[in-house]
Amino acid sequence: MSEKTVRVPYYPGCTMKTKALGFERSAMDCAEVIGFEMDELKDWNCCGASYPLTKDNLMGLTAPTNILVEAERRCQKEEVDPNLLTLCVFCYNTLKRTEFAFGQDEKKLETINAFLDRKYEGSIRVIHYLEYLRDVIGFDNLAKMVKTDMSKYKVAPYYGCLLLKPQKEIGLDDPEDPVILHNFLDALGCKVIDFPAQVDCCGSYLVMREPEKVSKLSYDILADANEYGAETLVTACPLCQSNLDQSQGDKVQFADLDGMPVLYFTQLLAIAFGLDTKTHLLEEHHIDPRPLFEASGSSDGESK
Amino acid sequence: MLINPVEKDQKRISELELATGESISDCYQCGKCTAGCPASMDPAPSVLIQFLKLGQFELAKNAESIWSCMACLTCSERCPKNVSPAAIIEGLKNLHLRDMDPRVNLETMSRDFLAHSPQMAIISGFRKFI
Repeated sequence: MSEKTVRVPYYPGCTMKTKALGFERSAMDCAEVIGFEMDELKDWNCCGASYPLTKDNLMGLTAPTNILVEAERRCQKEEVDPNLLTLCVFCYNTLKRTEFAFGQDEKKLETINAFLDRKYEGSIRVIHYLEYLRDVIGFDNLAKMVKTDMSKYKVAPYYGCLLLKPQKEIGLDDPEDPVILHNFLDALGCKVIDFPAQVDCCGSYLVMREPEKVSKLSYDILADANEYGAETLVTACPLCQSNLDQSQGDKVQFADLDGMPVLYFTQLLAIAFGLDTKTHLLEEHHIDPRPLFEASGSSDGESK
Repeated sequence: MLINPVEKDQKRISELELATGESISDCYQCGKCTAGCPASMDPAPSVLIQFLKLGQFELAKNAESIWSCMACLTCSERCPKNVSPAAIIEGLKNLHLRDMDPRVNLETMSRDFLAHSPQMAIISGFRKFI
């Protein structure tokens, strides 16, 4: 750990405290190694999960604004940089787009402020954990902290949709040909498997209404990664993780494909750091990733 | 089929444009949205927009395919005319939902889904279908 730990205000969101607990725990453990602390907001609410796409839906902006107010107050009180760290891609997208909307349209902000009876001044910059690693820590510095030889793992970076789109508002990377996860995996020393389906949609919330379609879309993505030689897939989105991982329980759709573990990028980072991953809930994944890493982690696992 | 724009429909289309913030007449039917759509929508996004351009509001609004949109935003991102088909589709869905016409029945919803899905899927589903 570095001499002085930086505290970064952090918004978890609902999924991070329930189904994606392993994502949050691994991210926090890695942050400690890197030298920053994810400082959770004290009073937070659900962001609403999906950003309203129609202009008339102002109600959908109230929940994310309430979070931005909370973060702004915290940053002003503690005199820290007005950054708000996120992990969940849906939260990131919703909060980031809200931030962008207010930058474009002050009237909108006034209306929401009046409705909430709170004053958001518009100072918060929403950032994703990956963005923090790239822009603040630097992937080259991250590479120096890696303890495990990761070169034997063939890892496919899977981006999905909401981490990148709409580019004009999110601005993290190119939505058609992104590199941020590739560069992250490069820094870890993994064998990066570039595959065409890396930005294809997994089916998202359609799992509520048409799970068979989500199965099919997930199959297409995983079969593509498999064809290009991947052993595992990493993602930053809990819904992508869930869809891609849980869909593999559909034995009919997945009849000709061996199980492929789907990891959060921070779970892989923890492995690269050589951390104890017992609390990172790898065992709760439908396709257990542990055999892959345990087998090749030992010296006799060099076969392939 | 002979298509006559319906005057009443024109008014509703203008209202849809106002609600979504989209300009439907900007679409020049290149079909990039449809080519990139992962949801296999039928009628496809560009066809839905063509219905609207032809003044056939009900055909667009009542198309079953609007419920398969997963808001991945591929269409919106690729549109060379800066139209967001995803926003127009959400505008159409909202008309049903605001009329209390949900597309998911909570009483028959799979308990398995509720037990195993991440909260973001449940919350998004509530927003998009109920």
